[in-house]
Amino acid sequence: MDSVFDDLYKKYHQDLFQFLVYLVRNKEQAEDLVQEVYIRVLKSYRNFEGRSSEKTWLFSIARNVAIDSFRKQKGWKTKIFEKFDFSSNQIKDEDLMPDEITIQREEIRWIYKSLLKCTINQRAVIIIRYLQDFSIIETAQILGWTESKVKTTQHRALKILRQEVENLRLKEGYEDERIQVER
Amino acid sequence: MREFKWSDKQVEDILKQMPVIKDYRNPEEIYQSLSTRSKKRKHLTWILPSFASTAVVVIIFILAFNYQNWLHQPIYHSAEQKSLALVKNTPSNLHLVNNETKFDSIKKIVPKNFNRRTVTSLKTAIYKENIKNGNVFTYWIPDIHGQILVPISIIVNNPGNQSPWLNLYNQEMNKLKEAEWGLSDFYPLKATLKYDHQDNSVIVDVPANHKYGQGADSESTFTSVLERNLSSNSNIKKIKLTTNGKPGIMFGNFGLLKELDVKGEQNHSYFLFFPAGKVTPFLVPSNESFNDIKSAFESMRKNRPILGLKASIPHDLIFKFTSIKNKTLFLTVQSSPNLVNNPVNVYTYEAILLTAKEFGLENVKLKNLPFKQLGPFDLTKANEVPVAPNFCNIENQP
Repeated sequence: MDSVFDDLYKKYHQDLFQFLVYLVRNKEQAEDLVQEVYIRVLKSYRNFEGRSSEKTWLFSIARNVAIDSFRKQKGWKTKIFEKFDFSSNQIKDEDLMPDEITIQREEIRWIYKSLLKCTINQRAVIIIRYLQDFSIIETAQILGWTESKVKTTQHRALKILRQEVENLRLKEGYEDERIQVER
Repeated sequence: MREFKWSDKQVEDILKQMPVIKDYRNPEEIYQSLSTRSKKRKHLTWILPSFASTAVVVIIFILAFNYQNWLHQPIYHSAEQKSLALVKNTPSNLHLVNNETKFDSIKKIVPKNFNRRTVTSLKTAIYKENIKNGNVFTYWIPDIHGQILVPISIIVNNPGNQSPWLNLYNQEMNKLKEAEWGLSDFYPLKATLKYDHQDNSVIVDVPANHKYGQGADSESTFTSVLERNLSSNSNIKKIKLTTNGKPGIMFGNFGLLKELDVKGEQNHSYFLFFPAGKVTPFLVPSNESFNDIKSAFESMRKNRPILGLKASIPHDLIFKFTSIKNKTLFLTVQSSPNLVNNPVNVYTYEAILLTAKEFGLENVKLKNLPFKQLGPFDLTKANEVPVAPNFCNIENQP
């Protein structure tokens, strides 16, 4: 096995996988994408000059890989399905909720569901900042943004999460009450 | 029902408690799937080239009939010269008519993009005798996947070197036909390049909204292109980066960069690169440098599937002995069952010449070959290494 791959795997694999799973919300797809990350990294590893940290460099590649994947999906979805107003995306997403999330308490599940309401960039910022624990500066390096753009995006994403969690809480609470009345 | 709203802090706290989702595959399994994936991708990528390969076979078949005739023909730079020479050298006009007919039939089969050089010469590079009063410029262009940089060379008329080279270089980059050559649309650069006489450097200025800093691929491609462009065309050792005249360019991963050193690395080996749908390869140098020319040649025997590079030296072409005298590389070739006088071996020979150039050599002499002429190369004498790889004509052709 390639020593570079071995080294990268030991140091970053689970973090990269976690990042991709939360970003694309599908474990199988994340498994596929993390391989694409390695292919891109191994091919350009020699050119990495250490101007950013190895970890931020890897995450920036992972984010690019995910975005490319979204673009490809968007391409054929737009062409074939969107015309017919398929509204099954939400259901599909719930179906694909990882077991690790399903068994968690409701707040965790609400947050996971609410992340879907964020744009890809907002979701990326949230995952990088809170799940991967990168600083604002590191996040800016990964995304190729300014620090102020990271802060603004983070702020907007948190606002969306708050609103959506509230919606979910009310919806589930309402359903609980209705069940009680019916009894 | 109890009314409450979460604060940002509460959302942040929950986010930090999100469960870890692990990949339970073992690393060997993942590593194996990387190579499988590369092969799979390669299969898809090579659907078009497989058609192109068929075209190559057809072309070679046609060329074979007329091979002995056109092998020895000189390159004519104008129709007039050609007519004169043909009238002088051929016993009758019938010969001329026959040749013209066959050449036309080749042109009909060969795709338009094949005509990036003289079909009869089969040379892909620029050699001293091609330059005349022109300047040779090399532009490094990313392939369509942004995986490799392909050096493309052009000849620009500049009698008496009247125009400063950087002005011409900037001007000519507008004419590059990347799409036609099967490469990424990368030029003209969204940047201005100016020579700084004070310290023999070049100032590269980008607008504030430049896109070169977005993503690791984009920024490393941009900086590599700048370094290689200046290394190939000048003795500049430093690039100063500015944004709207202010020092530094902000890159996502590199951070704020104010200068780049032009390292001018050498000692690379050359490979064949066929862009999708193209039948003529570009000769592309390796990323890495080699300690000696023998290891460089050895590297050229293996494909590099991830980068889409094909081996340029066949496995069974063995160099029995190598020596260097007065900047001339002598290669004694062990007889090889598949070594024939065909276009593919011309590319091999050019890859050897270009690699020899990387090691500071000026001539290459092949010994013990079963033929004296390889395409346009006279193998009875030492051949000069090219001035620059991958000649492309940027003037509009009919």
